[in-house]
Amino acid sequence: MAQFELDGKVFEVDGDGFLTTPEMWNEQVAISFAKSDGIEELSDKHWAVVKVIRKNFEEKGNAPMIRTICQETGLRLKEIYELFPLGPARGACRVAGLPKPDGCV
Amino acid sequence: MKNIDIQAKEKALDLLRDKSDTKLITHMNACVRCGLCADSCMYYLTFKEAKYIPAAKVAAVSSLYRRYCTFAGKVAPSLVNAKELNEEYAAEMVDLLFGSCTVCGRCVKHCSIGVDIAYVVKKGREMLATMDMVPATLQATVDAAINTGNNMAIPVEEFTDTIKWLEGDLIDEMENPEARIPLDEYDKELFYTLNPREPKFFPLSISAMAKVFYAAKASWTLSTKYYDVTNYGFFNSNTAEATQIAKNLYDEVHKLRGKKLILGECGHGSRANRWEGPNYLKKSYDFETLTAVELIGDYIRKGTITLDKSLNNEVFTIHDPCNLVRNGGMFKEIRFVVNSAVENLVEMNPYGNDNYCCGGGGGMLAMSEYNEGRLKTGKIKADQILATGAKVVITPCHNCVDQLLQLNHTYKMGVKIVTIAEIVADAIVKNNKNKTI
Repeated sequence: MAQFELDGKVFEVDGDGFLTTPEMWNEQVAISFAKSDGIEELSDKHWAVVKVIRKNFEEKGNAPMIRTICQETGLRLKEIYELFPLGPARGACRVAGLPKPDGCV
Repeated sequence: MKNIDIQAKEKALDLLRDKSDTKLITHMNACVRCGLCADSCMYYLTFKEAKYIPAAKVAAVSSLYRRYCTFAGKVAPSLVNAKELNEEYAAEMVDLLFGSCTVCGRCVKHCSIGVDIAYVVKKGREMLATMDMVPATLQATVDAAINTGNNMAIPVEEFTDTIKWLEGDLIDEMENPEARIPLDEYDKELFYTLNPREPKFFPLSISAMAKVFYAAKASWTLSTKYYDVTNYGFFNSNTAEATQIAKNLYDEVHKLRGKKLILGECGHGSRANRWEGPNYLKKSYDFETLTAVELIGDYIRKGTITLDKSLNNEVFTIHDPCNLVRNGGMFKEIRFVVNSAVENLVEMNPYGNDNYCCGGGGGMLAMSEYNEGRLKTGKIKADQILATGAKVVITPCHNCVDQLLQLNHTYKMGVKIVTIAEIVADAIVKNNKNKTI
């Protein structure tokens, strides 16, 4: 497990760089993760995706289906792939502070 | 370090003591450690450490065999390089057999005497699974499949909503309210399967395959309960779990009375169901099992669908999934389909049966513990792709797609990664009309 420090707080990440304690997530973490993925600035669209993912995680304990992200943000699928070049799992879910989803992602 | 339960250890060693597993005994003991396999392995090529040589991975298992199953190893272990199975040794086995091997089988083809090194590695994994030592992230993927029916734990309702949503888009795109993505329908010709990452995050390949089925006027269905083509029990090597997962799909095909099981674009899933499935269930399948690539190949040969290559006019290359090509015999079929759908194909070097693994095979993509090694070894693939000059990489395996997406980002390759269904759907010409769909 690797650690990093942000604004005096210490965060732990797994080998894939996902937060191991999703409750510790805050917007600064999102900005920092996004930068490491080459997203210099999070736009309103990025934040809209992140918020849907966070909300789903807090309510249901897992990442939302891509359909939910599209329908709740009004964004098209291809836009989401463009916003997060690493895709909804390794890109958007990581920025939103979720643990890594299981399976081939 | 995890303590090993004595009984579990004995059960693990029983796998080596089992005299009926003649393949294991023959192959494990046939390895003379000549080292020819070294340069075939992406882990050795990347890290240049002797422990990564495939023969050393065989030795990790055969040293235990000598210690517990031979007279010399029992009385004078150090003379015959026999090793004690203890906590430390088992932890090293986990790092070596799970964390530094994608079970791609490239070493097997380079072995001068054909030792099935991947088989021995998988037996070592099975021993570790018996001792409950599978890396947690890989085990979580298996558990999700056993407990929920799919490896991403997607609830049936959310899966159904996603498919209905995609069907709505298909109807709009085809301008035909009869365009369908059928769910849980009985007596269909084709029982189609998916990798759960498709409905969860990357559904364009589902839409693409639905378009192919629409153009072919196929009789097909998806099950809402067991549609998962993957079987991570094949990778954690827990035979009971692999058997349960294979059985769930087998039973579901029967329940819906599907005539043919069509394996979605997934390398290990195709292998685990088609070639290993009958071994797991200890019976022949009484329905035909085909990969999506072969089904599409049939459609093209019979003229069921017509493709216009000029619709795919970029430079393409193919990444051969190990479990479909080297270990699955799909080399020619993939070329036939791709050459029917694109104008300009440039092969990698090497390619086909000698192709390098993407680095994400063997369950590696699921194991966060070994992310760093996975991305480092993946550079071989990234360099291969860049050398072709291709702008699009086609691969009929969603696991490979995900690894390639990450390599694309890490090594700034600037390519697009697509499945075979996607390029075929892009090239389809509507029958009897000169109109593309």
